[in-house]
Amino acid sequence: MSDVPQSRPGVIHDLGYRRYDGLREGTATIARTLFITGLRHAYGLGRSGKSKVMPFLLLAMSVLPALIVVGVVVLTGMSSLPISYADYTNQTQLLVSLFAAAQAPVLFSRDLRHRSIVLYLARPLSAPLFALMRWLSLAVALWFFMAVPTLLLFVGAMLSGLDKSDQVTQLLKAVALQTLLALLVAGITGLISSVSLRRGFAVVGSVMALIVLTGVVTAIQAIAADQDADAVSVAAGLFSPWSLYTGLANAWDAGVETFVPVDGAWVLAYALVALLLVAGCLLGLVARFQKVGSR
Amino acid sequence: MMNATIAKLALQALLGRRRFYLLLAFPVLLIALVSLITALADGDAAFDILPGLGYPLVLPLVAILAASSVLGPEVDDGSIIYLLAKPVSRYGVAISKWVVALAATLTAGALPILVAALITGDSTRAWALFVGALVAGTTYSALFLAISAVTRHAVIASLMFVLIWESLLGNLFTGVAWLSIGQWGLRVGHELSAQLPDPANLTWAILASLVVTAVGVWFAGDRLRSFSLRGED
Amino acid sequence: MTTLVLDSASRWFGNVVAVNDVSLSIGPGVTGLLGPNGAGKTTLMAMMAGFLAPSAGHVTIDGKPVWRNTEIYRQIGLVPERELSFGYLTGRQFVRANADLHRLPDAAAATERILEEVDMVEPAGRRLDTYSKGMRQRVKIAAALVHDPGVLLLDEPFNGVDPRQRMHLMDLLRRLGDEGRTVLFSSHILEEVERLARHIEVVVSGRHAASGDFGAIRRLMTDRPVQYALKSSDNRTLAAALMAQASVRSVSLRGDHLDVQVDDLGSFAVGLPGLAKQHDVTLYELSPSDESLESVFAYLVAR
Repeated sequence: MSDVPQSRPGVIHDLGYRRYDGLREGTATIARTLFITGLRHAYGLGRSGKSKVMPFLLLAMSVLPALIVVGVVVLTGMSSLPISYADYTNQTQLLVSLFAAAQAPVLFSRDLRHRSIVLYLARPLSAPLFALMRWLSLAVALWFFMAVPTLLLFVGAMLSGLDKSDQVTQLLKAVALQTLLALLVAGITGLISSVSLRRGFAVVGSVMALIVLTGVVTAIQAIAADQDADAVSVAAGLFSPWSLYTGLANAWDAGVETFVPVDGAWVLAYALVALLLVAGCLLGLVARFQKVGSR
Repeated sequence: MMNATIAKLALQALLGRRRFYLLLAFPVLLIALVSLITALADGDAAFDILPGLGYPLVLPLVAILAASSVLGPEVDDGSIIYLLAKPVSRYGVAISKWVVALAATLTAGALPILVAALITGDSTRAWALFVGALVAGTTYSALFLAISAVTRHAVIASLMFVLIWESLLGNLFTGVAWLSIGQWGLRVGHELSAQLPDPANLTWAILASLVVTAVGVWFAGDRLRSFSLRGED
Repeated sequence: MTTLVLDSASRWFGNVVAVNDVSLSIGPGVTGLLGPNGAGKTTLMAMMAGFLAPSAGHVTIDGKPVWRNTEIYRQIGLVPERELSFGYLTGRQFVRANADLHRLPDAAAATERILEEVDMVEPAGRRLDTYSKGMRQRVKIAAALVHDPGVLLLDEPFNGVDPRQRMHLMDLLRRLGDEGRTVLFSSHILEEVERLARHIEVVVSGRHAASGDFGAIRRLMTDRPVQYALKSSDNRTLAAALMAQASVRSVSLRGDHLDVQVDDLGSFAVGLPGLAKQHDVTLYELSPSDESLESVFAYLVAR
């Protein structure tokens, strides 16, 4: 109050607000907070009660069969799990896809539709970093979605005394594959949701890209294999995230059957396509958020 | 009961740029795929695409898109009150919107199935499947309209019905066929061609389809009668 | 002549009471529904327009219930706060669609007549999404009026409208009120209400805080000090004399006038001429300096 200039006519009065001179958190903290908030929101945590229904309903549906399998294995003392870890994810792909389609708009559409994105970007946080953190949130949420039943199966296997080193190898393979799949699916659904801001259209778009496309690819693979056109069957697998996943799992001996075994140079092609797809989606997301951020 | 103005507005909303392309993508994809496989392999292999993918997935997706497009966005942003603040029966509003959604479902969902099935050869089974698609498409559009009138998450709720109840559980438990719209349609189509499965009782299939359609549209109208304006949430 | 009546209407959402036992009757002319944000104006409007069921009580227009009664819309014109999402229509198409929905015998003529009335004939051929806020507001009013309703309900009609357009809209509403329509508009901006409506209904925290001519409402609140500005031939002498009065709370000299705070309006007004004469002071000007809605409002909110 004391150092208010008296002589000049125009004066900004000191109302007692104090400047913040303390330590400021850096970009890393902002990014981490954004990531954690995004992860929580993907499961409806920290949001209304209604928004928790969908993610947890889907999670429950994907865990239930695993519980049944574990129960059966433990009670009957089977010598192996009736389904491999990687294949369990494959068999429940509908639920994983639906989870991604339903929750991607939560992370990618809302800020753009309500233009709250400009508030985020008004902080020392760049558009690319924002896009990256959102993508990571969704990817980890998806990974978690797949990992929970996988871990349950593993616990079941351990309880019934199956060979530990065997199971651990299978588990680690499955987890690695699931990570790749999560990054892939998060990229695809995120990109779709950030372009199509109406929730309904984003969901239908994601369902098209994940479920319908996989249906088409599977149909082509099956028919090609039936016609003994093995190369066509394997090549068709390059065109959907789920067939990439099953193809790589098959090549890596993770316990997933495909119509035609994926081997040789095809493995490299599958891995390359998967990585390129992740990179492409990321670039698309960054470009999209840079564009809306600059408006 | 049908209101031409409301139908016209719904049609305009449905044909608005992006939605239209998304709606168009389904039949184009389906027919292209079936043509390709018919050319490369043979008609029978290609036909399997239809009961495997076109009928259980594309048809309901088109119905979901159409039903949620005619009602969803307007309920979502509240601009439906411009239509509802009129001396027009709300059942009339629901019926008019349903007719538009139905027309879209049959044009972009059922008709392509017929075209694709005809490409694969055997026209009897093609027409049988088409009849099934007509029955199922009609019922789907009414059910999804009702869902759109109730929840903002209509698309996801409808998808869960189709993908989890009808597809996933329907494949595991044959009993689900009794409560599956797609299976009712197939049962009706079965009367024309024995190549289609016979999952349930014919009378039941017809009656259930009729009841779900009528109740679905009536329910949507009833929800509109009690349409309440809520604050933003 | 259409009268809108609320009879002990309440509305609650779960534990939150948005509108609490409101009874009011709104007749022809322009009425302002005034209240701060979150006071329940929109909830009240929604109940009046038949888009919300009262949790208790009744909302009627000429004795007929509003809720679940689509026929009532022949008498109501509603201008919601919501934006139009029919951006792909032209102004004329939108108004015409409204006329068609009312099944007007000559919808085309009615459309042109009302576009003329709101002065939107020239831009009516353009798409709605190219309109400015004020133009959209006018088109919404045109759409609400196309069937010549007795009641016009407007929810925050001046929000985001630029000042020139706002004047224009106010003239329009005033004209509609003079024609004998029941025009009710909600607002949280006092200056708007003050300029347009003599009759006000005030809601604060969901309760019906006051209704009537706002000047009269103001005078009813005698337990609150009233501020007057006084100009006279000898301010200092008058100030001394005023301070001796029981009804006067404070007097301050402000440049060429006196600011007087008065507790008891009646005895002050009656006693002032005699007091001036007694001290040989000539009164030039006496004006209430806070007879604005702002002060009415601040008082009601603070109570």
